[in-house]
Amino acid sequence: MMLRRALPAAVHTAVFTALLACGVQAAAGTVEARVESPAGQPVADAAVVLEPLAPARARLRPSAHATIEQRGTEFIPWMTVVQTGTAIDFPNNDTTRHHVYSFSSPKRFEIKLYVGKPSQPVLFDQAGEVVIGCNIHDWMEAHVLVVDSPWFARTAPDGRAAIANVPPGRYRLRLWHPLQKAAPAPQEIEVGAQPSRLALVLDAKVREPRPHTEVDQDHY
Amino acid sequence: MFRTSLQRRIAWVFVGLLVLVMGMVLALVRTGSQRIVANQARHELAIGVGEFERLLDQNQRQLETAASVLSADFAFREAVATQDQATVRSVIANHGHRIHAQVMMVAGTDGRMIASTQNGHGADVPFPFPDLLAAAESSGRSAGFRQMRDGQPYQVVLVPIMAPRRIAWVAMGFRLDDHWARELADVAGLSVSIVRIAPGARPVLLASSFGKPPGAAERYQTTRLDLGGGLQAVLQLPLAQVEAPFEVLLAQLLAVVGAAIVFFALGSITLARRIVKPLGELSAAAHRIALGDYGQPLPGQGAGDGKRDEIGRLAASFEQMQRGIASREDHIARLAYVDGLTDLPNRTHFLEAFAGMPAGAGGVVAVLNIDRFAMINNALGYPVGDRLLRAVGQRLAPLVSGPGMVARLWGGHFAFLLKDAGADEARRLADAALRALRDPITLDGQRLDIGSSIGIALYPQDGVDGGTLLRRAELAMAAARKRHSSLAFVAEIGAEPPHEQLSLIGDMRAAMENGEFMLDYQPKLLFSSGRVNACEALLRWRHPERGMIAPGRFIPFAEQTGFIREITPWVLDEAIRQLAAWQRDGLDIVVSANLSTLDLLDPGLPLYVGALLERHGVAADRLCLEITESALMDDPALALAHLGELAALGIKLSIDDYGVGQASLAYLKILPVNELKLDRSFITAIDREPRNAAIVQSTIMLSHALGLSVVAEGVETEAELAWLRAHGCDVAQGYLVSRPLAAQQVRGWIADHAPVAVG
Repeated sequence: MMLRRALPAAVHTAVFTALLACGVQAAAGTVEARVESPAGQPVADAAVVLEPLAPARARLRPSAHATIEQRGTEFIPWMTVVQTGTAIDFPNNDTTRHHVYSFSSPKRFEIKLYVGKPSQPVLFDQAGEVVIGCNIHDWMEAHVLVVDSPWFARTAPDGRAAIANVPPGRYRLRLWHPLQKAAPAPQEIEVGAQPSRLALVLDAKVREPRPHTEVDQDHY
Repeated sequence: MFRTSLQRRIAWVFVGLLVLVMGMVLALVRTGSQRIVANQARHELAIGVGEFERLLDQNQRQLETAASVLSADFAFREAVATQDQATVRSVIANHGHRIHAQVMMVAGTDGRMIASTQNGHGADVPFPFPDLLAAAESSGRSAGFRQMRDGQPYQVVLVPIMAPRRIAWVAMGFRLDDHWARELADVAGLSVSIVRIAPGARPVLLASSFGKPPGAAERYQTTRLDLGGGLQAVLQLPLAQVEAPFEVLLAQLLAVVGAAIVFFALGSITLARRIVKPLGELSAAAHRIALGDYGQPLPGQGAGDGKRDEIGRLAASFEQMQRGIASREDHIARLAYVDGLTDLPNRTHFLEAFAGMPAGAGGVVAVLNIDRFAMINNALGYPVGDRLLRAVGQRLAPLVSGPGMVARLWGGHFAFLLKDAGADEARRLADAALRALRDPITLDGQRLDIGSSIGIALYPQDGVDGGTLLRRAELAMAAARKRHSSLAFVAEIGAEPPHEQLSLIGDMRAAMENGEFMLDYQPKLLFSSGRVNACEALLRWRHPERGMIAPGRFIPFAEQTGFIREITPWVLDEAIRQLAAWQRDGLDIVVSANLSTLDLLDPGLPLYVGALLERHGVAADRLCLEITESALMDDPALALAHLGELAALGIKLSIDDYGVGQASLAYLKILPVNELKLDRSFITAIDREPRNAAIVQSTIMLSHALGLSVVAEGVETEAELAWLRAHGCDVAQGYLVSRPLAAQQVRGWIADHAPVAVG
């Protein structure tokens, strides 16, 4: 139901994760972060990941699911954060076929020319950065960050992201962006019952929409 | 071909000017064409360079596109993404072959090599052209010319491999080989070479469109394009390619100029010849005129020629000048060579004609004198005398035909020249001349009988030059006249050698001054008394070297030369002085002296003689002057007048040599003479010659009748003396009576012989 509303995946995931956390641990806290560029501009599509310093505390969430749809010969969303083992669907909402592929080592796959929803989602079972493209539309591009931790969020266009239901404890906070100029140093934070508000700085290139060389068929 | 310098000069000037002008035209054309060629070459080179650059650019874009297409190939990207060396190398080799790239290299985004088709490039070394990488980082792709490890130049295109983010770089190298250079050269129209330039090193030729190295003689317009990476494109335009049309033009122009010069040379030579030839002919004509040949027609003056240009007018002027010179020379020659009176040649002409005679051949020079011409002149006037001379000339002129001449010398003297003739022809000529003058000449109804004498000199016997021959002929003529003959040859008169006569002239003058002359006296015997009462003074010349010179040898000469007029006064002075001396000694005697023709014509003679008589105190009747008949003949009136004056003084007058001259009895009637002297030719052998005797006898009777006494000359025998005495002759003179005596002997001789017994 929520998926059909076509909300940003990160929001869904965050809410979903928060609900899960609430169910497991009553005393869970919330981490709110605001990511800005050094110039003070909000940075969208940045991933904020909390990795527990105590490994035993992390758990896999089975049968996690995500969707990256193709609409208007663009991947939506452009950036996605998933926990290891998540299966991602690539529904094609365009009239043209797409040929989705990834040569990134955490997940190599290829979905050859198809329309509609492919029969099988793609399982991302290895942490890492995956860049996804379309062999037919070179400008199409999607980034997937696969992390082992279940606590992560993606910044909205205002640069804000919130991670709920985080059990109290010490965490290593990782910040990541597909166009980051350098990997920012991870920092450790203490998560308590009270919400943590973090102001983070990340230097990343601004995403520029890549020109579509193909004329929209609708205009024909 | 060039005969004269003027012709040569004209031809040279014309041809030289043409060559000069043509040379300037050629130089202009050449300079202009060189400028045009240079501009054209620059222009063509610039176009070629532009084309070359455009080709390079286009080439690069094509290569970039091809490379981009290749790099976007899914399989290629997939293979590269595997990061497997062998696979990557294999795929780049395979895909590089698809787009004909000789070198393929894959580098990671970190600038390190992943794989290369070139040997020696190991993995994980830095990409060899970091500058290309840097350029590609900023603009997405890059391209350039680089020399690879194999030493060859390459056009390198560097493009990213997107998946979809850039995962690697792929570099594709396209070798710039000779084939490539030729293809570009064909399109750009230039020759293309690629050289490597390194500071401090010689450029190295890497590729070229030249099949073989160009010859050093070929010239090029060159531009160098820096390709980067130490490579340079050398673009060359062969100038011969641009010059070719101008070379053709220049060759054609040269041919035209050459032909023009040849035609011009021929034309100017012809023109010069036309100018110079008549000039040469005129020059030759002027030379002929200078030599005195006026008969040749001048060039350009022929009938129908009628050239009216400057040369024609010059020729006309020459012609006029020639006629003028001929006419004036004719006139001058006439004045110089023709006797104006008779239109016969004059003496000068005569002498020149003689000088023109061929040497060796014989010749005759004859002189004819009209007797008594002076008398005719005086008696009838000069106009008549002139007409007489013309008439004589007309009669004489036809006598000499063929080689020869009739000339008038002076007065009544005419001369004949016969060429290649001898004595016989001379005699025939003389006969013809005398015959021609025998008929009387009628002038104004008045008949004139004229006589003439001819003297003939033969060449070369009597002389070798005309002057000598004329003089000797005149002497012969005078001799003939003297002996009343009409003709005498020089050889007959036995004239002394010419040189002796010439020396005598000077000697006589000296003789006068040195007192070499003296007088001998020949006694005259008066029959009636048997005594010598008179003597004749005879001139003697005692020459210091030659001794006594006979009077016959110098007196005629003195008469001819006129020197006699100096001698006679001395003779008269001497004779009268002697007469006075004798009178003072008591010797009463009459002295006779001879007068010549010239003396007789001297108007001062009577006064002079009178003065002498008075000075010496001698009675006039003691002096007797003897004159010859011929002396009267030249100018009878004047002679008569002078004789009258002498007679008036009381001087006795005697006619000498009576009977041999042309004496006229009429003169005897009017002459105031006292005696006649009969010529010795009548006296000789008078006792045996009845004719002489008859003449002498009648003359004596005539003389006595006229009151004249008669003297016989040349009495040499007693018989003659006896005859003379018997026939009433008054006086005898001759060797029988006495030879001439010196003055101092006379008195003694008279004393010894007087009185002579007269039988």
